Amino acid sequence: MSGGSRSSALRAPGRRYLAVSMLMASALTLVGWAVYLNLNHGAFLQEQGEARHLREAAIPAHRGKILDRNGQPLAISAPVFSVWADPTVFVEWSGGGDPDKKIDALAEFLELDPAALREKVLSRSDREFLYLRRQLTPAHAERVRALAVPGVGLRREDRRYYPLGEAASHVIGFAGMDEEGQEGVELALEARLAGHPGSERVLRDNRGRVVERVERLEAPRPGEDIVLSIDAQIQHIAYQALLDGVKEHRAHAGSAVVLDVRSGEVLAMVNQPSYNPNRRTRPAGGRLRNRAITDVFEPGSTIKPFIVAAALESGQFNVGTVVDTTPGTFRVGRHTVRDVRNYGVIDVAQVVVVSSNIGATKLALAIDPELTWSRLSRVGFGTGSASGFPGEAQGVLNHFSGWRQTEHVTLSYGYGVSVTALQLARAYAVIANGGLLPRVSFVRVDRPDDWLRVMSEPVARQMRHVLEAVVAPGGTGRRAGVPGYRIGGKTGTSRKIIGGRYADDRYISLFAGIAPMSHPRLAIVVMVDDPSGEHYYGGRVAAPVFSRIAQGALRVLAVAPDDHVVVTRRVHLRSEGPDSPLKVSAASGALP
Amino acid sequence: MPVRPQAQFRVPVNPAEAAEPPPILDLPLLVATLALLGLGMVMVASASLATAAGEEGAPFHYFVRHCAYAASGVLAAAVAASLPLSLWIRIAPWLLGAGMVLLALVLIPGIGHEVNGSRRWLRIGSLTLQPSEPMKLCVILYLAGFLGRRSAEHETPVRSYMATVGLLVAIAALIVLESDYGTTAVLLATAFGMLYLGGTPLVVCVGPALAAAAGLGTLALQESYVLERLLSFTNPWADPFGSGFQLTQAQIAIGRGGWFGVGLGEGVQKLFYLPEAHNDFLFAVLAEELGFVGVVAVIAVFLFVCLRAIGIGRESEAAGRPCGAHVAYGIGLLVAIQAFFNIGVNMGVLPTKGLPLPLVSYGGSSMLVTCSGIGLLLRVALETRRGR
Repeated sequence: MSGGSRSSALRAPGRRYLAVSMLMASALTLVGWAVYLNLNHGAFLQEQGEARHLREAAIPAHRGKILDRNGQPLAISAPVFSVWADPTVFVEWSGGGDPDKKIDALAEFLELDPAALREKVLSRSDREFLYLRRQLTPAHAERVRALAVPGVGLRREDRRYYPLGEAASHVIGFAGMDEEGQEGVELALEARLAGHPGSERVLRDNRGRVVERVERLEAPRPGEDIVLSIDAQIQHIAYQALLDGVKEHRAHAGSAVVLDVRSGEVLAMVNQPSYNPNRRTRPAGGRLRNRAITDVFEPGSTIKPFIVAAALESGQFNVGTVVDTTPGTFRVGRHTVRDVRNYGVIDVAQVVVVSSNIGATKLALAIDPELTWSRLSRVGFGTGSASGFPGEAQGVLNHFSGWRQTEHVTLSYGYGVSVTALQLARAYAVIANGGLLPRVSFVRVDRPDDWLRVMSEPVARQMRHVLEAVVAPGGTGRRAGVPGYRIGGKTGTSRKIIGGRYADDRYISLFAGIAPMSHPRLAIVVMVDDPSGEHYYGGRVAAPVFSRIAQGALRVLAVAPDDHVVVTRRVHLRSEGPDSPLKVSAASGALP
Repeated sequence: MPVRPQAQFRVPVNPAEAAEPPPILDLPLLVATLALLGLGMVMVASASLATAAGEEGAPFHYFVRHCAYAASGVLAAAVAASLPLSLWIRIAPWLLGAGMVLLALVLIPGIGHEVNGSRRWLRIGSLTLQPSEPMKLCVILYLAGFLGRRSAEHETPVRSYMATVGLLVAIAALIVLESDYGTTAVLLATAFGMLYLGGTPLVVCVGPALAAAAGLGTLALQESYVLERLLSFTNPWADPFGSGFQLTQAQIAIGRGGWFGVGLGEGVQKLFYLPEAHNDFLFAVLAEELGFVGVVAVIAVFLFVCLRAIGIGRESEAAGRPCGAHVAYGIGLLVAIQAFFNIGVNMGVLPTKGLPLPLVSYGGSSMLVTCSGIGLLLRVALETRRGR
């Protein structure tokens, strides 16, 4: 090695030593800095980290189930998945080349238009959370997850399912997207059904996803399961029977109520038109209404048993007292009361059996108005059932002190007074259970409390015999009969008020009845609103629906048949006439 | 001649006294390199699984690519180690010229590929290349050739030094035009370090180095984002969710790690809090998961690699192979400077700059270049010991 070819670093090792020293100094500086950071700022940095990573998150609490009286589910929560997007990530990602196919697939899975999806996300690109589609089934959600679109995630939620669908929609109601009760029992019992969410401290990534659950701060309290008085089977039977009846007679609407007369429990309550609460789209108001409880109608002839009961309780009459209804018209002041035909001289029981307006009028006029009013009021006319059901109507029964003669007269055959189907059922339950006013309940009653006596026991018993005669072969309510059972009830047909006047050809068709007569268990009311077919009499339209409901309910409840012996009917039928709707004379066309 | 096994590990100071057969590979360097590669795979996996699942829909997206890069790197190192160094030195001027052409091409809109607002990449099919990365090797090889030739002369005119410095400035200017101040700084620091170790008169190497540093600083300050980064660097906690975001997140990671770390895979900052967690800020993830112990270990290994390179250079110089010596110095400096720069950024000692951690963090170009550099180092050691 010649000196000339010697390299500089070897010739001058100082440079190399300096370079090595500087490198080592750099390394030491870095190590020293790491020590300094940990010693002086470790706590601060960890605190800053926790401030970013840790969040309090809600632990969802399940909403209580709604069950029928036998424990069958009427409303249950099931897991669903909502698809959300973080527009800040999604937009950046979709700005590249390939993603089009995935966006199209995503849009297809979500049943959205690809352009609309893009627009939806773009227009909210300043936000970090946006629902793309709510509440997909787990299977559906899995397909979305498999796409793995950046910035798109799934959120588990609960959704209410209503196994009975439209058959029970009005009673159960429904809960909204966030499981808050909006109608029916779901709304009425919201406080008990709703769960109370707990909270926990979670570790999140910077996209808001929970990575780890650190500690639980408050345990979630699930909502209470509620056992309703409803019997799912009877509910279903009633719904089908009413639906068939409404369809057959091309009616506008209808309601049916099945009440347990011994407990006051609502075993079934159905309406037409109905809606499917499992559908996302919310129906228009008309379908939503639980008409059996929110809509009032004039009870027509179905009020007559209570007029007769008042007459019997006055002591002035007994079931055998005769009333002259000749000649089929009866003029009171400027008002003319008409029967369908001239029934002649009939007894008090026959007034109900043939449904004589004149007979009822004469009975009503013969007794103290206060007595009539108080007897009607006591069985619940004009007072709500206090069932607690949202939107319940009270009905109207004017105080007797304000009655004009016309009002007194029309009241006796069910005009100028209005009730809900539930109120009417409750009134018939009074007759059925021997004179006690039931406390109506939508939840199962295990031990009924004491009820107020509103009708004397003997009168109630007499009225049951009268009502049974109505359903006897040849009676106006014969179509309400159920083979093997003794049934009682009363038909009714009342004219509808359209535009402030009683319309000529629009009717409410009614049947209110009791089953079985030997040991009354059920009070059932069927109301068909505006049947536009051939028939409109309660005996033709509502009674067959009643019959089907009663037959099904008795079978479901395993009530023993009580008509296997020939029953001697104490009330003998002399005439078979159709139920008589009110015939209003021209002079009194504008009744209240 | 009897073969004694321990002779393999003995580093002969002078080949003249090396009676034993020369060791073929520099085993300590190889082991350190493979350790860094292995650590990189583990850390890239840890840092990227969650983000890759979130962003790419495939948790192993980055990991698989990183493994492929590492494998290519090992292959490149093998190629570099099996070709004679003289070949590289001979073609170095051509490589330098080609590299400059590529750097210029990047600047042409339509050819240069833009990522995150910086145009630093060339796109060939699905592959992207960052020309400033191979440029580092080209400069090292070229300077090694230049310094090697110079040492053969008795007197070198200052003029020829100035020409080389001028060439460096031109290359630096091209990279500055890509707004890549970090790479420029690393490249210039390496180059002037080589000139310094190469015995260049102080007036030639220190003067231009200071001038280059001043010029680079002035230029950088012209760009608002650089200034912003510098300001946020002085106090990142003034605006932790804006300009100080990256720095505060990296420091939080280091603070969370403490002395022994939160445990491998247990880090939180990598979960979208730290930007570029598998890339430029991989060290912060490492600090969080492995703690101070891991930090010191990584710094120590990089220091070792660098010192080993300088040792190889000294051997080569002593063996009268100046070109190999300068190559070794250059690569040692490059790896150490870039590593310390990256670590300094991660710990908040230096302003944020997009520089990968050599051999460890994600990124194909950097991986190939650094591995090739290690291959060249091994070649230098091998040629020295074979005495060829």
